[in-house]
Amino acid sequence: MKPQPQLLLFFLLQFTIFGYGQNQTANPQPYEHFWDRTELKVGFVGTGFWSNGLSIGAEYLWKENEKAKTRKGKGRTNTHQFLFNGNFGFATNFSSKTDTGAYTNFGLTWRRTNKKGKQFHVELNPLGYYRSFLPETYEVNGDQVDKVFLAGRGYYAPSLSVGIGKRRKGKVRSGSYFNISYSPRFNYNAGTLPTFSLQYGFRFNFQNKRP
Amino acid sequence: MKHTIACIIKIGFLAMAIWWVSACSNDHTLSNLDATVFVRHKGADMPAYIKGNASEKVFLITLHGGPGGAGLGFQGNAFDRIEDTYGVVYFDQRGSGMSQGSYSEDDLTIDLMAEDVLALVKVIKRMYGNDSQFFLLGHSWGGALGPATILKDQSEFLGWINVAGSHSPKDLYFEYIRNFERVAAAQIELENSIPFWESVYDELDKVDANAVTLDDFNRLNSLAFDAEDYLKDDDFINDVGNGGIEVSDYNLLTFLWNLLKIQSILDDDIIGRLSFTEQLSEITLPSLILWGRYDMVVPEFYAQEAFDNLGSSEKRLVFFERSGHAPMFTEPNPFAEEVIQFMNQNK
Repeated sequence: MKPQPQLLLFFLLQFTIFGYGQNQTANPQPYEHFWDRTELKVGFVGTGFWSNGLSIGAEYLWKENEKAKTRKGKGRTNTHQFLFNGNFGFATNFSSKTDTGAYTNFGLTWRRTNKKGKQFHVELNPLGYYRSFLPETYEVNGDQVDKVFLAGRGYYAPSLSVGIGKRRKGKVRSGSYFNISYSPRFNYNAGTLPTFSLQYGFRFNFQNKRP
Repeated sequence: MKHTIACIIKIGFLAMAIWWVSACSNDHTLSNLDATVFVRHKGADMPAYIKGNASEKVFLITLHGGPGGAGLGFQGNAFDRIEDTYGVVYFDQRGSGMSQGSYSEDDLTIDLMAEDVLALVKVIKRMYGNDSQFFLLGHSWGGALGPATILKDQSEFLGWINVAGSHSPKDLYFEYIRNFERVAAAQIELENSIPFWESVYDELDKVDANAVTLDDFNRLNSLAFDAEDYLKDDDFINDVGNGGIEVSDYNLLTFLWNLLKIQSILDDDIIGRLSFTEQLSEITLPSLILWGRYDMVVPEFYAQEAFDNLGSSEKRLVFFERSGHAPMFTEPNPFAEEVIQFMNQNK
């Protein structure tokens, strides 16, 4: 199977456009500075069993609207956000040393937050790259054997994550998240390796320190 | 805020540095090896787990089953004992275990996998010296890859150890049918697990007795593993001791995906087609053939066929009377003794 980034970008565009074809109010919060709109995040990434590591990233709020609806006679207002999203992570299997790698990916997050601050989000990162890091490696060409410096392989690795979270309005630690993430690696051996991971961490907005 | 961000970045890089050092550490002390190295060859990066006592620079290279098995799947009491005396190299073959790389399905051939094993030999010589010596051991599918490797260059090896090896998957399907009929009749006569063995006849009725299909082969292969479970229950085969793959050694999802992928590619070339029976006479290495008496997965017929056809002047056939397809787990001590004795005699 060949990687098809064009297809992913197409879906990302559709998602962005049609995600806004709803009744919405004006941007409810004024954001003056870049850092007002930016949250940093840091957390665990891995499977828990075979690979565990650290992920850091940032989210930049692109668009936000409030959507009001009535449910069981009560009015509810949910906030919908689109955020540009970037991540960098590193995970390893301490036991076997055969599953070590770093990744980076970039894309768009759609997030819904209810009035209690509970969140649901979908994160699509069509631009993704995974680089494995191998321990001591020797390359064999005919009778020649050479030690490889910083051995590893790069794979195109987009990702799709679905998760929940909690917003802490006005706090420096502005939220937490728990995601289940799917990231295929193209071309892995003679095909495309599907990988799954869990992500759990916290978001920070240091502008919230200001009075 | 900049200070805080800088601190987070520093902590992140420090954590990564610690992981990196941890992930790269290997112990190359010959008397107590514990190293994981990768062999990069023709588009693949394949891990070799080198363990044991190689103070004499004598290594036993193991070839796992499958295709698509796991090199570390050999680990257990038997190989612990072998590691006490010799270096043991557990190897994830191309497209198996935690091997990675990038190549096309057309590039994935048994011939290339045999070249990978010879590449592994070159890497170990590079690491531990050209005076390193090697024995080759293949289990199940490794019993086909072993001859494929040796027939390319047997000068690299001091001996060949065939453990329930499938040197002729071409004929295995029909031997399954014959073996099931034989064992089922015997077990029913002994009044052991009669419902299961009668159901074996029903299964045999469902498969084509004249032509091999992949579906029918897989059905009988799966039935063979079930049959061994019943033979364990009826006390013909010992319980499996501790051994096999540890959960932490392999990413299960990667392992399973590799297994399914490589089998989907290679099965057409192997099942009903591949046979080294005619070429076994070209193998003149000292050879040891180890088989479980109740092996239903690669029936004992192949033990005798391998013994009769090998061109080795020095060869020995051993049946383990309380074992099925994995005598290294069901009779680990006699298994280890046979392997060590063979290596002692031929190093």
